[in-house]
Amino acid sequence: MTSKLVSLVELTSHIQDGDSVALGGSFLHRGPFAVVRELIRAGRRDLEIIKQSPGYDIDVLCRAGSVRRARAGIVAMEGNFGLAPWYRKAIENGAVELEEHACATLTAGLRASAYGVPFQPIAGVHGSELAALNKWAELPDPYGSGTTVWVIPPIRPDVAVIHVNEVTEQGDARVFGTTHWDRIMTRSARTVLVVAERVVDESEFRARPELTLVPHFLVDAACVVPGGAWPGSCAPDYGIDYDAVRDYLVDDEDSLTAHLATAPESRS
Amino acid sequence: MTDDWSPFSYVVTNLARFVRPHEVTFSGVNSSFPMLACLLAKKAYPFDFTYLNVAGGVDPEPPYAPLSSSDPVLTHGTRSIFANEDFYDLCARGGMDLCFLGAAQIDGYGQTNVSCIGDWHHPKVRLPGGGGAAVMLPTARRCCTWRTEHSPRALVEKLDFVTASGGMHGVVTPIAVFVHDGERLRLDSWHPAVTLEQVVERTGFAFDAATAAPTEPPTEVEAAALRELDPDGVFERDAGLVL
Repeated sequence: MTSKLVSLVELTSHIQDGDSVALGGSFLHRGPFAVVRELIRAGRRDLEIIKQSPGYDIDVLCRAGSVRRARAGIVAMEGNFGLAPWYRKAIENGAVELEEHACATLTAGLRASAYGVPFQPIAGVHGSELAALNKWAELPDPYGSGTTVWVIPPIRPDVAVIHVNEVTEQGDARVFGTTHWDRIMTRSARTVLVVAERVVDESEFRARPELTLVPHFLVDAACVVPGGAWPGSCAPDYGIDYDAVRDYLVDDEDSLTAHLATAPESRS
Repeated sequence: MTDDWSPFSYVVTNLARFVRPHEVTFSGVNSSFPMLACLLAKKAYPFDFTYLNVAGGVDPEPPYAPLSSSDPVLTHGTRSIFANEDFYDLCARGGMDLCFLGAAQIDGYGQTNVSCIGDWHHPKVRLPGGGGAAVMLPTARRCCTWRTEHSPRALVEKLDFVTASGGMHGVVTPIAVFVHDGERLRLDSWHPAVTLEQVVERTGFAFDAATAAPTEPPTEVEAAALRELDPDGVFERDAGLVL
């Protein structure tokens, strides 16, 4: 079987200007942040970012001017860092367009794509102004219960990128701990990219196949970047680098350059 | 005790008091106060309940309370990884008894805004956004929220944007606890260090206070549990709450 392993630069080249990109993880936890930074180094533009709970990733991409549109549920740095400042600025000054979701409505849109149906019903939403804002439709129960349900149109990312603990040479991927929304992202996107802490022999995956989150045939390319979820966590390998996040948030031009230069993928 | 009841302890303790025996309770992202409240309830109250969190933990036994309320530390000792799609689906089908959800503005009906200050299309402040609210508030059996300031700009007559509407049950601020009566939020109790008049003045919506009384001070057990969770006062300092 051919190897899916490529360099970080090659992996990132699967993402083109204008693509819609679903990013795995949640807030500062197990995000594909090495790829996010590589997109900036590569000068990518006009990206659509899809994620239920982005933070650092969408903030740094907005800061670099790489984003056209955000489709997100809740956006913040989290930890004790509050709002995502460059994202906030980009929305407030209109540089980036926002499609605001509840996390579960974004998941519903991804499910519509994953399930191969034109829309996905979702519980709740009643009384929220998000429905009118996004022009979501409300349908009566066709089986006559008398209730109505909101339906979300498909969200089909061009690319899904996730950061995982382990990958095989063929691209099978697994995570230890919570999967966040990585599973549905990898089932709804046209192209799936995986960044891993390390590569392990396929015999280890064969020994515990139930731990595999994404089988190789769904994966287009994979690469290994130890520490690639920095400055966020990748349990159980490492936790949040709070000092690095603090340094990143310093509002001067040098801090982004310094941040990109001190990232693990730049150091190796 | 009541005069030096810190606003930080007031919010955490009163959120914890909404936890009920044998229920399924959830704390999410960006939610240090509910995380501490759930962990406090586990330590302080002599009953079982299921504590789910956004990190995927099911009754975890974290060695310490992490600064990020979605930190993988919150899966330490968990008996399962109950990930995001699972806990949202659980809530959607009516299986979540108590859900803690953040809010920037709350109105007298218990509706919330977590989207923006000002017009949505031209916001003065872009806030974090929808999050769990629009799906969880109407579908959880009870939701509780908290505000770190008690002011007419947080507790408003009219929301700048209705992000979510539905099953709000309780609201805790540094000086007051509101409970929903099916129609509107009514005052349940207020911080013994302030007066009822001050609560009225600092609330943007009208409310019924007929059955309200000063809040019961924290028990020894509650206070000890919170000290254990925030031994160096890091959460309390970061929160920077004032009465």
